Amino acid sequence: MVVAASNPETIRIERENDIVTARHIGRNMSKELGFGAIMQSRIATSISELARNIFLYAGSGTITIAIVEREGKKGLQITAIDEGPGIPDIRKALEDGYTTSGALGAGLPGVQRMMDCFDIESAPGKGTRVDVIKWFEQ
Amino acid sequence: MTRRLEEEYVQILRDYLNSQEEDELYGAQKLGKWLLLKDISPEELVDLHSRALESVEEVPEFVRASFRMLTEVMIEYGNAHRSLQSWRNKHAQLQSEVEIASAMQQSLLPQTIPTYPGVEIGVVSIAANGMSGDYYDFMHFSGHRFSLTIGDITGKGIPAAMCMSMLKYAVDSLGEIQLGPNQMLRHLNRVVERNIDPSMFVTMLFGCYDTNHHCFRYAVAGHEPGFLYRAREGKFYDLEGRGIALGISADSTYVEHEVALQTGDVLILLTDGVTESKKGRSYLVREDLVGFLQNEVDKPAQLMADEIYRRLMMLAQFEQRDDYTMIVLRRT
Amino acid sequence: MDLTIQTISEETEHQVILGGEIDAYTCPKVKERLLSLLEAGATRLTVDLKAVEYMDSTGIGMFVALMKACKRSGCSFFVENLSERVERLFRITGFYDLIAIRKGEEA
Repeated sequence: MVVAASNPETIRIERENDIVTARHIGRNMSKELGFGAIMQSRIATSISELARNIFLYAGSGTITIAIVEREGKKGLQITAIDEGPGIPDIRKALEDGYTTSGALGAGLPGVQRMMDCFDIESAPGKGTRVDVIKWFEQ
Repeated sequence: MTRRLEEEYVQILRDYLNSQEEDELYGAQKLGKWLLLKDISPEELVDLHSRALESVEEVPEFVRASFRMLTEVMIEYGNAHRSLQSWRNKHAQLQSEVEIASAMQQSLLPQTIPTYPGVEIGVVSIAANGMSGDYYDFMHFSGHRFSLTIGDITGKGIPAAMCMSMLKYAVDSLGEIQLGPNQMLRHLNRVVERNIDPSMFVTMLFGCYDTNHHCFRYAVAGHEPGFLYRAREGKFYDLEGRGIALGISADSTYVEHEVALQTGDVLILLTDGVTESKKGRSYLVREDLVGFLQNEVDKPAQLMADEIYRRLMMLAQFEQRDDYTMIVLRRT
Repeated sequence: MDLTIQTISEETEHQVILGGEIDAYTCPKVKERLLSLLEAGATRLTVDLKAVEYMDSTGIGMFVALMKACKRSGCSFFVENLSERVERLFRITGFYDLIAIRKGEEA
């Protein structure tokens, strides 16, 4: 059972600059949790990727970042929600080398590899919800 | 990352900064191999380096900040590094599937070359890579006859191999009713036309050899003409016959030809992998090939086929760009 | 893989000049270009093979598919300036008799 351990922060993603805000908040929260420099960067990158997907494909949506707890272990949870066109083929979107824009980069598979838990729900026309957690190992 | 690794890195860095000798750089190179082996990602390495630097000497804030930026950039390289592993796994899986498929495909081709009275047969059939688009087969017919099929499916690899299995079953079942060569091709054409991609087709020569009368009746569908060697004259002739390749047009019909073989005469059937073979930087011409055939025509059939392949490969500097098949049949 | 594709268009009539090698690796590019012209409503496609140095049976396959696609959409399709080698390939496969070939002088 994952429970919130702090007040979550929600950032509305509408302009490219909002991605920077989300990254910044995520980095600060992961620092607060005790993550090292690399993990901070990986978390910021994951937030970037999720926020960019919202910005590029859905136009707008939200990123929510929360410190969560499960069985005494703390972690950072990032939830990306949009009401955009959705992903027609999730399996394909999670394959390496597949990006609809043809651009290079981490993409969803990169995020999946950098995080511990990865949950995605999407359907054409119904928007997309991605939920990821990185647990803090002492 | 282990403590030992960190300490080792600090040591190498310190030694190098003091001496600036090639030794230490060699050590660093070996460390690089080891880090890759341990799957240390680029961003971890940048972080390791910046921490090592701190433990060697006082680091100015702008250098520290520059490392933060470098780490951030390296995350993307790290993602590429991590996806490489998953590509490798996928590739290995595909590779093993291809190996199984080529083994399966091999079972569609004759496992042994049949022997018939009064004739001697030699075959060389080699795929350019793994799976072949060249097809050949022999079937035993009633009344001292056997059939001989040689075909070439456009393209190479997996699509050609898939098409070949369809072709094999069609040839087998039409072979059951022992159709004449022109009827055989007419029926095969309909099967192929209905079942393959419009950009694919099959060229084929199908013939029946009568070991009593030593005559060969055949029909051709867009296939590279073979040769007939007349022993008495010591000359090679093109095997006559043309026709539209299988799968191009639904209502193609084919013409039957017949040649009678005298003792010592040789039939040579081939695919375009033989005639399109390279001669250094240019292409082999048919006259070149006739010259090679002439040189080897006195050898036993299998030896002749082997020798020609060896000669052509040498000329092409062992680069085989297409599937290669040659069948040599001599009346003894 | 060296392949060159040059297109000269006059409204819906296109001349596509191919050069280099046409084989399994370059075919998809040629096919994509020609099909895109067809989809854009071409009424006449002429493929010039004068600069083609090498073509294998994959090339013939592509032209077969293209010829069928043109027939379906009512576009006239011609091939011109075949080199001796390419012409031989067209003749052996029997494709020569099915396709409209234009000689250099008429073009």
